[in-house]
Amino acid sequence: MTVLKTEGLTKIYGDGQNKVTALDNADFSVEQGEFAAIVGTSGSGKSTLLHMLGGLDRPTSGKVYVENKDIFSMGDEALTIFRRRKIGFVFQSFNLVPTLNVYENIVFPIQLDGNDVDEDFAAEVIDTLGLSDMQERLPNQLSGGQQQRVAIARALAAKPAIILADEPTGNLDTRTSQDVLSLLKTSGQKYQQTIVMITHDEAIAQMADRIIRIEDGRIMTGGAADE
Amino acid sequence: MNKVRNREAIRRLALREMKSDRRMVFVLVLSVVLTCIMFTALTSVGGSLINGVQQETMRQVGGNRMAGVKYVLREDYEKIKADSKTRDVVYHTLVGDLENVKNIRAEVNCAGDEDAAEASFSAPEEGRMPESFDEIAVSTLVLDEFGLPHELGTKIHIELSVDGEITEHDMTLCGYWKGDKVSMAQQCWVSRDFADKYAPEPDTEFAFDGNIKYAGYYMVDLNFANSWDIEGKTEALLSRIYSDGENIPQAGVNWAYTTSSVDGGTLACGIVMLFVVFAAGYLIIYNIFYINISTNIRSYGLLKTIGTTSRQIRRMVRIQAAVYSAIGIPVGIVSGLMLGKVMTKSIMRIMNVYSENSYAVSTKLLALICLISAVFTFATVMISCRKPCRIAAGVSPIEALRYNETDIHTKKKSKKSAKVTPLSIARNNMMRSRKKTVTVVLSLTLSMVLVNTLFTVLRGVDEDKFIKDSIVGDIVIKHSENTQNFSDKIKGITPEMIGEFEQAEGAEVHPVYFDYGSILPDDEACEKVEMLYEKNKDSGDHMEDLKAAVERKKYQAYIYGIDETAANYIEAEEGSIDIEKLKSGRYVIVNTYLWSEKSEDENYVHIYHPGDMIELEDSKGEKHEYEVMAVGTMPYPLSIQMYGLFFTQVVMYDEEFKGLAETLGASKLMINTDDESGRVKEQCKAICEKDGSQLVYTDKQTYIDEFSGLMSMIKLVGGSLAGTLALIGILNFVNAVVTGIINRKRELAMMNAVGMTDVQQKKMLMWEGIHYAVLTAVWSVIIGSGLSLFMGKNMEDGLFFFSYRFTLLPIMICLLILLLLSAAIPYVSYKVICSDSVVDRMREN
Repeated sequence: MTVLKTEGLTKIYGDGQNKVTALDNADFSVEQGEFAAIVGTSGSGKSTLLHMLGGLDRPTSGKVYVENKDIFSMGDEALTIFRRRKIGFVFQSFNLVPTLNVYENIVFPIQLDGNDVDEDFAAEVIDTLGLSDMQERLPNQLSGGQQQRVAIARALAAKPAIILADEPTGNLDTRTSQDVLSLLKTSGQKYQQTIVMITHDEAIAQMADRIIRIEDGRIMTGGAADE
Repeated sequence: MNKVRNREAIRRLALREMKSDRRMVFVLVLSVVLTCIMFTALTSVGGSLINGVQQETMRQVGGNRMAGVKYVLREDYEKIKADSKTRDVVYHTLVGDLENVKNIRAEVNCAGDEDAAEASFSAPEEGRMPESFDEIAVSTLVLDEFGLPHELGTKIHIELSVDGEITEHDMTLCGYWKGDKVSMAQQCWVSRDFADKYAPEPDTEFAFDGNIKYAGYYMVDLNFANSWDIEGKTEALLSRIYSDGENIPQAGVNWAYTTSSVDGGTLACGIVMLFVVFAAGYLIIYNIFYINISTNIRSYGLLKTIGTTSRQIRRMVRIQAAVYSAIGIPVGIVSGLMLGKVMTKSIMRIMNVYSENSYAVSTKLLALICLISAVFTFATVMISCRKPCRIAAGVSPIEALRYNETDIHTKKKSKKSAKVTPLSIARNNMMRSRKKTVTVVLSLTLSMVLVNTLFTVLRGVDEDKFIKDSIVGDIVIKHSENTQNFSDKIKGITPEMIGEFEQAEGAEVHPVYFDYGSILPDDEACEKVEMLYEKNKDSGDHMEDLKAAVERKKYQAYIYGIDETAANYIEAEEGSIDIEKLKSGRYVIVNTYLWSEKSEDENYVHIYHPGDMIELEDSKGEKHEYEVMAVGTMPYPLSIQMYGLFFTQVVMYDEEFKGLAETLGASKLMINTDDESGRVKEQCKAICEKDGSQLVYTDKQTYIDEFSGLMSMIKLVGGSLAGTLALIGILNFVNAVVTGIINRKRELAMMNAVGMTDVQQKKMLMWEGIHYAVLTAVWSVIIGSGLSLFMGKNMEDGLFFFSYRFTLLPIMICLLILLLLSAAIPYVSYKVICSDSVVDRMREN
């Protein structure tokens, strides 16, 4: 089943002389349970692509379908609500809410939705990511790797259709990067979670099921990753 | 050392940056203007009032020099003039007094020169000083007294008294000037030849002996370099000149200088006001600068990254501040002067100041006011921008780029989990920077409490009470003499004048007669007086009067004669007032006054009680005995409104009084009328305004006007103070909210990214605002009630026309507004930052 699909996704910044085509007719799709890595150099348009996929930014033309729903047909408010239900984000700079503790950060999107937290599932996710001992700590008491694990837990806890990870290891050292990434991968497998990760780091990308290369806003390869 | 020529670059950068955000520049300039208006208004009101009082006192005294040496000889004058520390030394020699004037006092003197005349406000405006033997220069008041035209060359017949010897002369008017009613005596200048003939310089030094002779002595007036410690300087001068310590002449300090410039209370009040304005200005400017700096913090970080030093950034901010001042201060001074003028006018109206020319602001004073305001405003601006400046300069490039308030200044390492809602996040956010929360809540509370207090005061001021204690009856006529001069003889309103008022149809005239007399206390009364002395002997020299009263068995009495209508206004403290008994002439109403520094009520001491007999000696020296019917005080508006240090007031029926008094004159007339058309008022007013009548007319309307003047004054001053504080409070609040939102721009974007909708974010921010409102509400209700109760009680004791009523209504109304504001401001600020997309906001990292 295809969870994520793009059609002719194009983003142009500026106009006239200053016109920059950040994304040029990008077409690709991601299947349920797949772990895909989008790889490209700085300025290749990979961040723009990820922002489009997550509905953070609107394209100049083209469409994004998440679970067969054209996300840009929704208004901003509806899109935000859709995002917290269907898309989990993991950012390079962790982006935890500084005044909320670990547990609260994890269930933040669920509670914003006004839903009751599936406590068993949340506890399981927390346990999987090794955060059980630090549930009541505040973000400023955590290391970078710990913060990123909280961010991953936050993304998983809402049982989204897809997790978008934007350079999730960009702020971490090599060892921690490996740990966090394998956690991301194993938990993804465990919960049949579709994950799309962008990175410029080939070694990191190698851990994904599939690598999508992007250069100057164009998708170069979309084949299955080497096993 | 090499001087790097980067000043131009920095200046260009500073100005360029200002151009990029015109709205912020406007707000900043506005804050400078506001501060400057406050300073200018304050200094111009203060300046013109102090100057006015000083001028007015100088006119009363009749001289503008700081000090005077009295009754000396020419050689003394020359020594004083030769002294290195004295300036502007002038003299006049004493000749005598004019005898053939009735309504004014006129001295005849010979001025040393034109400056001497100038120094006593008596320099001819028309014509010149006398030169030949029979020339004289006088004020227009003297001419009016003689009924002569204001024309040079007019012949004036004078009766001159030189130390009691009266001679008659026909003089020619050679100069005149506009006379000043305020001054105690009018000057008449004669020539040196004239003075030498009738009042030659004596051979001997002045002596206070049995037969004092003044004629021919020199009165020397002088200035020092400045008005600081004139008394000390004068003493030093005398000991320099008369080093042998013999025959030191009398010297005096012009009390225009002592009363106005060294009055500690006024000075302290002024300093407090200046400080309040400074604090207000500081807070306003500080807040706006702070917002400005934190909005631009990234650009400062950027500048630092590319090598701008802290000092250069500080310079940039200072240049901007200077530019804001350069635009704001002139605008502020002009508006402030206009406001000050309006305020001074209304204060003068309330203070009943009539000689407006004393209060005219000279160019020199105006320049001083402008200068002081400009300097103070500039200083405030510079001091206010110091902290924001330091923040801008002290920021490290990395910090600036990530500047957000994620640092939680709490030692808390963990917190209990709770359900996350916009409200709960808002509550957590409030705890982030407690200092900020406290500042905002405090300043909002302050203005709230002030508004409440002001309202309480306004509500408590009781018009009826004010009028009742200011005037009795519909109209009160008084003689100007006994309000201005502390003369021993109350000339009063003559029976003929009273007749004139009685002619007015519909006017019911009730004269209040007054005369001084003496109480001859019996042994029992003496004992009580002695006890009073023992109790109070430490509280002032004047208590010796009590001792003297016992020794001489005699002390001062204020005797009033009133009719039954006036008697009805007296409230008995002890006993009761029986009009029939009073009419018999054998009964009196008494009360005894002893001056003390304690409050008004305690100034009345009860020596006599109902049933006591009291022995009175009238001004003719005859003795009378009366029975005390009641203890009670003349209503203040009908009393002579003067107080000795120790006296007993005796009120008797007017028929009885007529037998006592030497000259029958009423000190006051109370006139009642049923006439609604105002005709009676007009007639009475006309009688008072007749030339030479010296009667002062007041009616209920005068006091109603005065009352509304007083009210508008309280409203103006209190309102602007409360308004300023409210502005500061709101600015603090805006500052807290806006910087909070700007600094959390990224955090908010991230929350948006993980699914917090706009609606929820707005809700969260509004809850934050409402928290401020609620905290403010709690504190202002607590502090407001406390202050209201405390102040109310004190004011009731202090102000006779105040009756306290507790209220929190204004706080409630203000809270409603605050609640709306506290929800609206975050909403608007959020909308502003949302003009950038989530991605852009997240990227600011």
